[in-house]
Amino acid sequence: MQPYPNTETLRPPTETTSRPARLKLRPPRNRIEKRAIALWMLHAALTAIVVLGGCGIAYATAESSRPYLGPVIAVLAAFYVVYIPLMPTWRYLVHRWEVTDEAVYALSGWFEREWRIIPISRIQSINTVKGPLQQLLRVATIRVTTASREGSISIRGLDAEVAETAAHRLTEITELTPGDAT
Amino acid sequence: MSGSPTAVTAPEPAGTAGTTDPAGTGVETAAAESPAEAPWRRLDRRVIWLDLVMFLLSLTPSFVALVVLDVDFSDGAFGIWPLAVATFLGVTGAVRDLLRWMKTRYRITDERVELRVGWLHRRYRYVPRDRVRSVDATARLRHRLAGLRIVHIGAGEAQPALRLNAVSVAAVAGFRRELLVATGTRPTAADTADTADDTDAPGAATPETPIAELRWSWLLYNLVNIWAFLAAGFLLWSLFWLLQLVNVDLRDVVGGLVDWRELGNGWSAVIITAGSFLLGVIGLGIGFVTENWNFRLVRATTENGTALLTRRGLTQTREIYRDDRRLRGVHTSEPLFWRWLGLAETEVVSTGLAGWTAGQESASVILPRTRIGYARRVAADVLADGVRPLEAPTRAHARAALYRRLLWAVGLPGGLAAALAWLAPTSTVPDRLWLYALAATPVTLVLAVIAYRSLGHTLVEPYVVTRYGLARRYTTALQRRAVIGWKFRQSLLQRIFGLNTLGIATAAGARHYEVPDLGAAQAVAFAHETTPDLLAAFVVRTEPTPVAAAEDPQPPAAAPGSEGWKQECDRPS
Repeated sequence: MQPYPNTETLRPPTETTSRPARLKLRPPRNRIEKRAIALWMLHAALTAIVVLGGCGIAYATAESSRPYLGPVIAVLAAFYVVYIPLMPTWRYLVHRWEVTDEAVYALSGWFEREWRIIPISRIQSINTVKGPLQQLLRVATIRVTTASREGSISIRGLDAEVAETAAHRLTEITELTPGDAT
Repeated sequence: MSGSPTAVTAPEPAGTAGTTDPAGTGVETAAAESPAEAPWRRLDRRVIWLDLVMFLLSLTPSFVALVVLDVDFSDGAFGIWPLAVATFLGVTGAVRDLLRWMKTRYRITDERVELRVGWLHRRYRYVPRDRVRSVDATARLRHRLAGLRIVHIGAGEAQPALRLNAVSVAAVAGFRRELLVATGTRPTAADTADTADDTDAPGAATPETPIAELRWSWLLYNLVNIWAFLAAGFLLWSLFWLLQLVNVDLRDVVGGLVDWRELGNGWSAVIITAGSFLLGVIGLGIGFVTENWNFRLVRATTENGTALLTRRGLTQTREIYRDDRRLRGVHTSEPLFWRWLGLAETEVVSTGLAGWTAGQESASVILPRTRIGYARRVAADVLADGVRPLEAPTRAHARAALYRRLLWAVGLPGGLAAALAWLAPTSTVPDRLWLYALAATPVTLVLAVIAYRSLGHTLVEPYVVTRYGLARRYTTALQRRAVIGWKFRQSLLQRIFGLNTLGIATAAGARHYEVPDLGAAQAVAFAHETTPDLLAAFVVRTEPTPVAAAEDPQPPAAAPGSEGWKQECDRPS
C-alpha cells in the first residue's frame, strides 16, 4: 500500500474551495411547532421572574447591597426586555428537523447555530420528554442518543402528537437497521 | 451497587460446587457448571499477612521515636500529635484492611462478575460478563513481594467497575482468560497458568511483538515541567510532616541553613524558586523512573485476537491490556513550549477504555513524552496497517480562520486595555496598566498565527485526521467507521467569517473530536467525503461545476434536491 493514498489529489489547490462546486448543507425539512415560541417565552419569563425577584428581595431587604445591586438589576432587566420577545421567535425561525431512513438531522440554536446529523445505525435510545410546561402547551422533545454525548440530538418544541409519531417511526426504522451503535 | 437484598440472596454455594479454591487462584471455578452454583471466592489469604506486616510497620515510627531515639516532644510546634495521628492511621488502616478481607466475596458466573463487600455498609455490585472491557492488574511494592496483584475489572466507564485487592498472580491470568474471551468461545479447560501444556494459553507461551521500550533519554523530556513546582510543594509538605514525627521542624532547619536576612528579598526569592524547582525536577525524575521502570509496549496475542499491552513500574507495577478489536485510532499532543524540540505524548483512541481518572494516568496513554518522530513510528506500529495517518500532509483551513484569530488577538488585549484605561481614573487599578495590556498585542498576534498554522484536516483512508490547538497541538487519526455523527457549529462571528466548527462524534477515545474553523463549504465537503452515504441526502451544491466530474462509483441514496450532485470526493487518484 502506498503511504498516503489520495493525499496529493485530495490536497486542494487553494485553501477555501477544495472542490469546483461548493457544498452546502440544506436545512432540515420540517419546522417545529409554533407553540414552542410560547414555551420558550414562558421559560424565559419564569427565569426572569426568579432571577429578578431574587435580586429584588435582596435589594429591598439588605440596604448595604443597594449600591452595586442597583446597576445589576437594571442591566438584567434590560437584557430580559430584549431576550424574552427576541430569543423564542429567533429560535423558531432557526430550529428545523428531519428524520430519514438513514439519519436524524436537526438544526438548532439562535445566535449560535448547530447542525447535527446522526446515522440511524448508531442510535442507542429514543425517548420523548414532556415537562409540565410542555404538557400544558402540548409540545414535546425527542431525544435521540448515541454512544457519544456530543453525537446525540434533542429536537425540542415539537407538537406532542408529531413527536409521538416521529419517535415511533424512528424506533421502527432503528429496529430494522443493523448496527452496533459504536 | 446498592445493597439490593434480592440480588444478594442468591444461594450460598456451601458444599454444592465443592471445588472452592481457598487460595483464590480460583481458576477451577471456570468450569463450574451452573451459574447459580458458582462458588463465592475470597481474596487471597496472603492479604492477611500483608495486613499483619503493615500493622507492625505502622508501629515502627513510634518505637523508633520513643524508644530508640528517645525524642523529647515537650517543645515542638505540634508536640506528639503528628506521631500519634500517623500511628493511629496506620494501625486502623491495617485493621480495616483485615476486616475488608474477611467481608469480601466475589464470584464469576456465566452471566456476571459479582462482588460483595462491606462490614457495616454492605454492598453488592456486579458487571455483566459481556460488558467487561478490561482486566488490569496493578501492584504496590508489598503486593509484589507477596506475589499479589490488584485487579481492576472495567466495563468501559470512567471508573473501573470492580476492584479486587488482592488476588494471586495466577488468579489474574485466570481472570483474563475467563473474562476477556468472547462469550461462547470461553474455554472450559481449567488451570493453564503454570502448566504449559496448552500452547494457546496466555502466560509463558504468549507470543509478543515488541513495539517500544523505555529509553533513558525520555527522562530528560519528562523532567522540565511546570508541575515541578507542584511536585516540590508536595515533597516539602510530606517532608515537613515526616520530620514532625521525630519532632524536627523543617521551617527551623531551612531557616538555619542560610542567613536569609543578609541575602535580601530578591536573592531569597531567587534561591527559593530555583531550589524548589530543582527539588521538583528531582521529584518528577524519581516519579518518572519508578513509574516507567521496565516500560514495555508490546502487541500480545490472546485467545480472542491481539491486544496492546503495557508493562511498567518499579515499586508499583501496572499492566494494561487494550483489545485491538476496539482500537479506532491514535492521538498525539504536542505542548507549544516543547515544539522546538518536537516532543509529543501519544494515546490510542479506543472504545471501552476508561477516560481520565483521578490520580492515575489514563489507560489510553501508550507512550510517555517522547520525540514526535519516535511517537509517530510507534503510532504506525500500533495501527499496523502501513497508512501512517499522523504523518500525512494536512489540508489548510480557510484563510478566514486566520483572520478570526487575528481579530481576537487584537480584540482581547485591546478590550482589556480599554477597560483598564476606563477604570484608571477611579484609581482602582494602577495608572499605566492599560499600556501593558496593549503591549501584549504583538505576542497575541504571533500566537494567532501559530494557532492558525496548527489547524489542519485530511482524509487518509481509512482515517479522518484532525489537527488543532495552541497551547497543545492535538493530532487525531480516527478510523472512518468510528464516526457516529456530525455536529456543525457556527457562532455569529463565524457566520460573518464564513466558518464552521466541525465536531466528530465517536464512541471511542474522548467521544468527541473537533476541527475548529473550517470554511463553511470545506466543513461540509470534509464531512461528506468521510461519510458519503450519511450526508448524501442533506448536501446540495451551491453552484454548478464547469468541469465534468469523474465517474461516480456508487450513486448516493436518491434524495430530492440532490440529483445533480456527484460524489467526487472519493474520486480515486
